[in-house]
Amino acid sequence: MPLVYEELRRIAAGYLRRERPGQTLQATALVNEAFVRLAAARPRPFANRTHFLAIAALSMRQILVQRARARRAAKRGGLPKQVTLDERVLMGNTPGIDILALDEALSRLAILDADLARIVELRYFAGLTVEETAEAVGSSPATVKRHWAMARAWLKRAMDGGQDDGADHEP
Amino acid sequence: MTPHEWKRLKALFTGALDQPEATRESWLEEHAAGDEVLAREAAALLRAHDTAEGFLEIPPQVDPADVAEVDAEAPGTRLGPYVIEYCIDNGGQGIVYCARDTRLERRVALKALPPFDDGNPELRERLRREARAAATIAHRAVATVYALEEIDGRLFIASEFIDGGTLRQEIDRGALEPARALSIAADIADALCAAHAAGVIHRDLKPANVMIAINGSIKVVDFGIARVRGVDTRLTRTGAAVGTPAYMPPEQLIAGNSDLRSDIYAVGVILTEMLTGQHPFAPGRRPVPLAAAEVTSRCLQPDPANRYQTADDLSQALQTALEEAADGTVSVEPMSTGNRSARWWWEFHQAMVSLVYAAMLWPAWLARGSIGGNVGNALFVATLAAAVVAITLRLHLWFTARFYPAELAWARQRARGWVISSDMVLSGALILAGGLIGDTSGAVAVLDIAAGIGSASASLLIEPATTRAAFRV
Repeated sequence: MPLVYEELRRIAAGYLRRERPGQTLQATALVNEAFVRLAAARPRPFANRTHFLAIAALSMRQILVQRARARRAAKRGGLPKQVTLDERVLMGNTPGIDILALDEALSRLAILDADLARIVELRYFAGLTVEETAEAVGSSPATVKRHWAMARAWLKRAMDGGQDDGADHEP
Repeated sequence: MTPHEWKRLKALFTGALDQPEATRESWLEEHAAGDEVLAREAAALLRAHDTAEGFLEIPPQVDPADVAEVDAEAPGTRLGPYVIEYCIDNGGQGIVYCARDTRLERRVALKALPPFDDGNPELRERLRREARAAATIAHRAVATVYALEEIDGRLFIASEFIDGGTLRQEIDRGALEPARALSIAADIADALCAAHAAGVIHRDLKPANVMIAINGSIKVVDFGIARVRGVDTRLTRTGAAVGTPAYMPPEQLIAGNSDLRSDIYAVGVILTEMLTGQHPFAPGRRPVPLAAAEVTSRCLQPDPANRYQTADDLSQALQTALEEAADGTVSVEPMSTGNRSARWWWEFHQAMVSLVYAAMLWPAWLARGSIGGNVGNALFVATLAAAVVAITLRLHLWFTARFYPAELAWARQRARGWVISSDMVLSGALILAGGLIGDTSGAVAVLDIAAGIGSASASLLIEPATTRAAFRV
């Protein structure tokens, strides 16, 4: 099935089969590979690149959230230290980000401002550059840069337990 | 925070960000117009921004071993009055068991959250809402909900057990017969009519959520992320990340908006998959049979305003397609292979008419000189305008036929009225011009009148014939 979600999984599974223990992949690389396989094939398979990227970003978010949930469940079942250590090793020198907390904060941001949340999905989960994101959402790189800065600041604050993110203040 | 406040906060934050760091605070004070709460909020965001260096800048790492395995209950396990027979489906989102209800001695489908999610209040609420949403719909093509059970703190939906498989499995075995595919799609559309009438939007329609019973009847299942009229949508906080991307329309994916037309889009994807075995966006996908081409093309329109607006409309279109396929008036062959020669003639006709119309501007120009004055000018302008419209539309149709055959039925339908009107204006203007010239320039008059009559008859007699030949068997 040429669905992005499954394609991403299949690519990841392919890496697993090639037996590279401890191998992790950059999300960007997965998305790019899926795009090359799906979109670059003869007739353009997606309505447009934006459509593809939106699907890819959301798929990646779902995959990562699902994986994080399963890991958390595994941790609860024991071996907490090992898993944590493992994760840190796997993460390399990437500052560890709590995907579940991010997912939750991002969902709250989406209620306040769907555009900002979409930019985060494209930038972070699909690994797009500012310019590519601007093209995908149809605005200027300068605007995306500003919105990205705001979204990051808001998320940082929400995830650091910043007092009041305002999301629950509907009248 | 109200949308208005958020907008102001956004303006303050981005405005302050453009200022040199030293003057940001004073800039904020100046522009917050006395709203201290907002100014504080913006200042806090700016501080967060300053500490967010590198935050989210590096895309996440993915462990290839990322598939969530879930421990299912073993067969024979007793859960209250239910005895587990086997596990039907074990996905990351939930587990579905086939179980026996020992009180009524009947089989049921039991749906539960994965064990590690069972304590999550939000997901529990979602399961409750799923049960309620599905329970409001009484329809032969929607699985009946029997009960929402809480057993030892775990939440279950007990519903009608459907002995059979999913449409996903059926499609994976290969494309379906066109008549069967259309009839399944019509049943799904009927189920949607009932759901939408009850105020429920499914939002996650896909082949895996359509069960096919052994007797061939279908049931739509899994109202897990359905939206119910009158229910606060903020309850689905995780809503931004739920659903199945491949079946979501652009507006749902990109803007997070969904309404009943999102379900209609999903039916378009499912129907295409049933007919071709492939997703509509699959590279090198086989074409959809002609009888269904218009339905799929309309369902899959990126702009929801161009889709069928209700499940009723969709259902009727599917019924019509089904009847046409059954009595053989419309080919069930894929478009590109069926009637290639008739299609070729139709395309040739479009191209030729475009050329001839362009050539007719010459006698029209001559007539303008002979008639003279405002009348001559007006007639020539009318001829020119009509010719431009007619040629543009025909070339558009010709181009669509060549490069986007799946869109052709829809494009033809939209263009039909304009094509005929412009043909008639063109013919009328030419005949009128020929008549007005009279004796002064007999040859041009005859040429104009002949061209007018010729184009009118081509439009009224020849074109319908080539069209019928190309698109009907």
